[in-house]
Amino acid sequence: MGFNVSFSKRKQENYYHPGQEIKISRRPVSSKSYTTENDNVLTCRQRIFFAMCCFATIYLALCIRVSYVCLGNGINIDTAISEQNDENVIRFKNPVKRADILDRNGEIIATSLPTVNLHANAKKIKNPQDVAEKLNYIFPDETYEHLLSLLERKSTFVYLKRNLSPSQQAQVNALGIPELEFENCEKRIYPHKNLFAHILGNTDIDNEGISGIEKYMNERLTTSTKPLTLSVDLGVQNTIRDELVAGVKQFNAEGAAAILMDVRTGHVVALSSVPDYDPNENIKVGERAMFNFATKGIYEAGSVFKVFNTALSLESGKVKVTDRFDTSHAIYVGRLRVTDPHGSHGQLTPADILAESSNIGSTLEVMQVGKKYQREFLQNINMDKALDEFELPEIAKPQFLSEKRWGDVSMATISYGYGISSTPLHIITAFSAMVNGGMYHQPTLLNDGKHKGKRVVSQKTSDSMRELLRAVVSRGTGKRANVEGYQVIGKTGTADKLENGRYNHKKSMATFISAFPESNPQYALIVVMDDPKASKETYGFTTAGWNAVPVSKNIITAIAPQLNIKADFDLEKQKSIVDAAYKK
Amino acid sequence: MDSIKTAMVVLWFTLTLVVALSSSVLKNRVQVLERRLATINSNIQKDIADIHVLKAEWSHFNTPDRLRKLAYEQLSLENAKPEQIINYSALQFNYENDRNTSAIRKDNKNLTTLVKAEVKKK
Repeated sequence: MGFNVSFSKRKQENYYHPGQEIKISRRPVSSKSYTTENDNVLTCRQRIFFAMCCFATIYLALCIRVSYVCLGNGINIDTAISEQNDENVIRFKNPVKRADILDRNGEIIATSLPTVNLHANAKKIKNPQDVAEKLNYIFPDETYEHLLSLLERKSTFVYLKRNLSPSQQAQVNALGIPELEFENCEKRIYPHKNLFAHILGNTDIDNEGISGIEKYMNERLTTSTKPLTLSVDLGVQNTIRDELVAGVKQFNAEGAAAILMDVRTGHVVALSSVPDYDPNENIKVGERAMFNFATKGIYEAGSVFKVFNTALSLESGKVKVTDRFDTSHAIYVGRLRVTDPHGSHGQLTPADILAESSNIGSTLEVMQVGKKYQREFLQNINMDKALDEFELPEIAKPQFLSEKRWGDVSMATISYGYGISSTPLHIITAFSAMVNGGMYHQPTLLNDGKHKGKRVVSQKTSDSMRELLRAVVSRGTGKRANVEGYQVIGKTGTADKLENGRYNHKKSMATFISAFPESNPQYALIVVMDDPKASKETYGFTTAGWNAVPVSKNIITAIAPQLNIKADFDLEKQKSIVDAAYKK
Repeated sequence: MDSIKTAMVVLWFTLTLVVALSSSVLKNRVQVLERRLATINSNIQKDIADIHVLKAEWSHFNTPDRLRKLAYEQLSLENAKPEQIINYSALQFNYENDRNTSAIRKDNKNLTTLVKAEVKKK
């Protein structure tokens, strides 16, 4: 009760209690009647008026703007689109999901085309004979019996034909058979057919990569539509393949392989292995055609290994370019008798050993160095492991002897290329390091900038190697590759072919590895001929100097201008040629 | 006071009418533009697909063998030879002021003959 008493006695305050009625005086407000009691009502009115003004202003502005937009030329569409930032711009996606593959100049070498598959609800087809007959007319490559067997399966989903052409699709549509339906898909196309068969590989009917770079880069190609650019060059690849095919035909070889590499970066500019196949055709080809010898073929390279032998000898510091080795008679290493197939040569310098391809000289060189250093050197240039980082699944691990089996005899045979087997890719990558100043670059097919290399020989050794290898071409076994103006350097190698664990002396593997120009090598080329035959043109010889070397010469002559490498003719010689021409 | 009230009602009514009409016109125009945009987008999408096919076709027609054949048949062009691309320093042109034009012309003639001799030798 005390509470109520206190309220009843309370004076009227200048505010309202919750639930209390608000009484607004109708009396005009005058300065006389103005009291502090009316102040609240006035404030409230003022606030409402202010709010209404604000709303009215906004509403008016909205009206003006909307009227301007609707009735006038308020928005310029072009300006509005151009003002949109990148996030708002609609990005159109290519309907083809698998990314294109380009060569280093941006030419398409693999692409996908949108096509359709024809399928049917065979259960609902009432007259399969009639449908099969009609479809057989549209698809003459499919037999009537095959189509009928598909349509009689009584299945709700049967593929009748994959990858229809637009014309075939239109013809099927015109049949007006509702049970026949289309499914959008895409087909992988290789516009250059056989040219990049062993690089690109192939895809299956679901457009998933099953070999080559299509398999290795499958995830990249299916998750991004941005084209994948390779380091290969379409024109150069074509030239090299043409020359290889011609060489195989001329020397009746079982096959051939070639790789062109940029020695400064490890980029593979061309890679070819013949025989090859057309990846567009879904026909079975022989195993040999499917086999990429350039990256998967392991073989004993023969005298080409003398390049590494000489390099490691010079790098060790125990052999100098001015040293002389007596090769006048055969030498024995354990029970192994080392001879020179071309006869004795007397006292040879390292340059002569390479030029004459002396087995005795190579053995004498490595004996100065020792087997431990030899093995470490070859391991350092990756002759003992598969080149896993190379972007093809078709790679092979070289056959490299264990330390236990690496005896004196192995040391001697390895010095001239017998005893360990490797792939052309291993050899050209290591060779590039010998002539490019000493840096080993991992080989790559991707055009993604220069890879950081590792030093395997000194600049001095590399410089010396270039001079020594020039002697091979200018006066040695590789003189048929002496393309005037390009100062080609290189080394030949011929080895008996290993078949079922035994050497077949009637068959050989001929290799020529080269680089040009000598003063500043830019490209290295390896050409391997598999079992070239002797002919009248080769005077019965099957050594590399008579087959792989002339093929290499043809390749270098054709590709050097394509690669914009300028010939460096000696001016005095030019004048003498001119004089000779005048005299004629 | 009443006149103010009436004026306010008229004002609000007018504003509401204007906004309603304008919104209607705006909606109509947006719909037209959206239809136009959809058509354009559809055309762009179709063009992208067509361009993709055309690029593949272009690549198919630009195989080196075909280009070489056409260049030979139509333009009598052959592959470049090493002697056709040489270092600038190896050129016999000499632009020194003290040499007269006849000497330069002679050098040029020599170079042409040299190339011909090289080609003949091959």
